[in-house]
Amino acid sequence: MDITRQRSFLHDEAQFARALARASAGAIIFALPLLMTMEMWELGFYMDRFRLALFILVTLPVLFGLSYFAGFEETFCWQDDLIDALSAFAVGFLMSAALLTVFAIVRLDQPLPEIIGKIALQSVPASIGAMLARKQLGQQDDADRERRIRSSYPGELFLMGAGALFVGFNVAPTEEMILISYKMSPWHAVALAVLSLGLLHVFVYTVGFAGQESAGDDGFLSVFLRFSVAGYGIALLISLYLLWTFERIAGLSMMELVTATVVLGFPSALGAATARLIV
Amino acid sequence: MADIRENDITSRDEDGSASVSRLAWISSGLGLLLFLGSVGVLGYEGITRGSGPPAITAVVEEVVPAGPRWLAHIRLTNDGGKTGAKVQVEGQLMAGDEALETSVAEFDYVPAGSEQKGGLFFDRDPRAHALRLRVLGYVEP
Repeated sequence: MDITRQRSFLHDEAQFARALARASAGAIIFALPLLMTMEMWELGFYMDRFRLALFILVTLPVLFGLSYFAGFEETFCWQDDLIDALSAFAVGFLMSAALLTVFAIVRLDQPLPEIIGKIALQSVPASIGAMLARKQLGQQDDADRERRIRSSYPGELFLMGAGALFVGFNVAPTEEMILISYKMSPWHAVALAVLSLGLLHVFVYTVGFAGQESAGDDGFLSVFLRFSVAGYGIALLISLYLLWTFERIAGLSMMELVTATVVLGFPSALGAATARLIV
Repeated sequence: MADIRENDITSRDEDGSASVSRLAWISSGLGLLLFLGSVGVLGYEGITRGSGPPAITAVVEEVVPAGPRWLAHIRLTNDGGKTGAKVQVEGQLMAGDEALETSVAEFDYVPAGSEQKGGLFFDRDPRAHALRLRVLGYVEP
């Protein structure tokens, strides 16, 4: 790639405007299921303020990392990634604010903290959607970037984590997560955990993660441990964090807590596994 | 990574247009503002809002005719630290110690620090009697 083409994205006004438009489309498409989920509006005003603030704080490094690996435009130094991350947050926030206002979920006569809470919570998936828009809606000619991800094992784990966060977040706010775990026996939970890990491993092989090229050398066990088991561990941790953030685990017994984590771990694991497709 | 950055800087120096586009500055500046703003508002709210139980009071705002019946507009205010869900409010028209008529409304949520509005229907004119409002209870969301 020649340098002028690389630089043009962030430094050319028209290009950046186009990237922003694409990001807005991505924000709406990816956040739409959550924008139209009742629990999300309610969580926006009743969930613990510190947990919500922490959740917003965590979003920025995730956006930064996603920008590094797959942002809505080409970036070449960390300042560029920071600009992209903040721009994605702005797009996600404004899109959420606009849609929630149109849906009459946010009204001006509500207290400010309630309004901010509802919009800020929605801006997490919306800004991640804005960041992913490039890969999904834009051109996909970034061979350099592919190589950069493939060369890094921590980068691969980060992508799995981001995928788990995004897909897990799409279902975590709903009552069904807890309801399903109430219905399941311990044996159902074990079966679901095995299924999650199995599917994750199948995806690792078919979608193509870093190290897959050398899978023949490393052998089944190495890939299984390094990617599938590690990925499932990340998915479970992120599930637990999401359940804690949405105050779904207060008062649960240890057994119920583990079951709920495994239930949410299923979509999270699929998110981790397909991160390479989404991101 | 390192040499890409080096190339980038070199080429910036060459053509002298190192500045990031104005639009990028505006959008990222706005993002920073919104980010710090939301975290700030939420953090401030977390510090100042108590952690006590919901403290919900109900008042009658206005009584208007509603067809052959009467409608009392009511307003609930939660000054407590937590949100109350499924808040039940009962309105009774009193004649001395005797309740002539009882109506009930349930509010899905009364968030901490905010107001919710609703109404109670009565067959008799509430303005001709003493209207007693009671917040019956709530569940934690």
